[in-house]
Amino acid sequence: MKLFDPTSTPRERAITLAPRLRDLRGLRVGLVENTKFNSDVILAKLGERLARQHGMTVSRMIRKRSPSHAVAEEAADELRRISDFVVSGVGD
Amino acid sequence: MGSVDYDPEELIEAYFERGWSDGLPVVPPTEKSIAAMLAGAGLRGDETIGEVVERGVIVSAEKLAINAVMAGCRPEYLPVVVAAVRGLCHPHFAYHGPASSTGGSAMVLIVNGPLAGRLGVNSGNNAFGQGARANATIGRAVRLVMMNVMNTRPSFLDRATLGTPGKYSFCFAENESEHPWEPLHVERGYRPEQSAVTVYASNSLCQVYNQLAAAPEPLLRCFADVLCNLGTPNLRGFNQSLVVFAGEHADTLRRSGWSKQDVRRFLLEHARRTVADLKRAGRRPGEIEPGDETTWKHAFERLEDILIVCAGGQAGSWSACLPGWGNKWTRSVTIPIDTRGGPP
Repeated sequence: MKLFDPTSTPRERAITLAPRLRDLRGLRVGLVENTKFNSDVILAKLGERLARQHGMTVSRMIRKRSPSHAVAEEAADELRRISDFVVSGVGD
Repeated sequence: MGSVDYDPEELIEAYFERGWSDGLPVVPPTEKSIAAMLAGAGLRGDETIGEVVERGVIVSAEKLAINAVMAGCRPEYLPVVVAAVRGLCHPHFAYHGPASSTGGSAMVLIVNGPLAGRLGVNSGNNAFGQGARANATIGRAVRLVMMNVMNTRPSFLDRATLGTPGKYSFCFAENESEHPWEPLHVERGYRPEQSAVTVYASNSLCQVYNQLAAAPEPLLRCFADVLCNLGTPNLRGFNQSLVVFAGEHADTLRRSGWSKQDVRRFLLEHARRTVADLKRAGRRPGEIEPGDETTWKHAFERLEDILIVCAGGQAGSWSACLPGWGNKWTRSVTIPIDTRGGPP
């Protein structure tokens, strides 16, 4: 009798990292809130600190439907348009 | 596919050693049993059953069939397994959350329609318990697919704190012949003569007892109490729960003339806690303030978030509530069962 492998290997995807930022001064930061408890609080504080320390502005905080859902396409497009970089946070 | 020859006992151990089992011995597949399994659903091995996009996982019919054989399914069960896996892959189910979370959910499979009876999916006595091959192996096959194909392995992408015994298998049929109302799949737009499976994630099961109440109001107060206990997940919003009426409780509701919506309305109204209760239990932040003792928070926001089905034996004053994941994280999905493989 033979072994039959019941497993599958996930498809690999190439992910390209965004170029690293050289200077934080005056950048626009987008925030992605994942709906976990206190995620919005942590991100808001982070936004305040980035503004205070690096002169950044928070372009927008968007709220995902849930932690396990992707950012909605429309919201992602908007963030791309109005932000230099984005922070996604997890609370709990 | 391995090329080494094994004795039957060695083969079972070989599946354990490779981490391909759920902890129980599996039925070692053969080319013949895999082919028969695929034929049970009229599938070719290279067909795609579903995809979990966020994990880059594609479920092929061949892998599904191998896992179904391992689980002990008969070939005619495969259409149910296929529909259930399609449910897991449905975007509304949002697989990654309920499959991976510390909440450790069972994937509850509710089978409706004539196929349930023909396959022997138990809807009566001990519907949640042991003893029926279809219930035990269909649910087990789905869990093995989750582990082996969807990478949902304990301590890897399954991060359950405790889990639940229902994670081995949780499959039952609705008791449609003694149902006070229309069955779940009909409520969701399918014809009574169609068969379908509903996939619902739940991390626990609480049996509800009441032997005295002979009218809906006192009876349903017990359910409302269970549905809003302070340890219930999603009590602060997005709640979704499954209520399974059985035996004498179903009979009481049938005789009362209450509709399913009447039951939902009552439960929605009475499943509630005061803000003070929630604060005392640390389910809401902050100190108790004036008015908190008389300000109520309802466990459910929408009637449709209370799923109602009937199952179980005729005798007994037992039913059950199964808290879910909430409508924000995942939604139960009902998928029609394709029986193109032929009878039953």
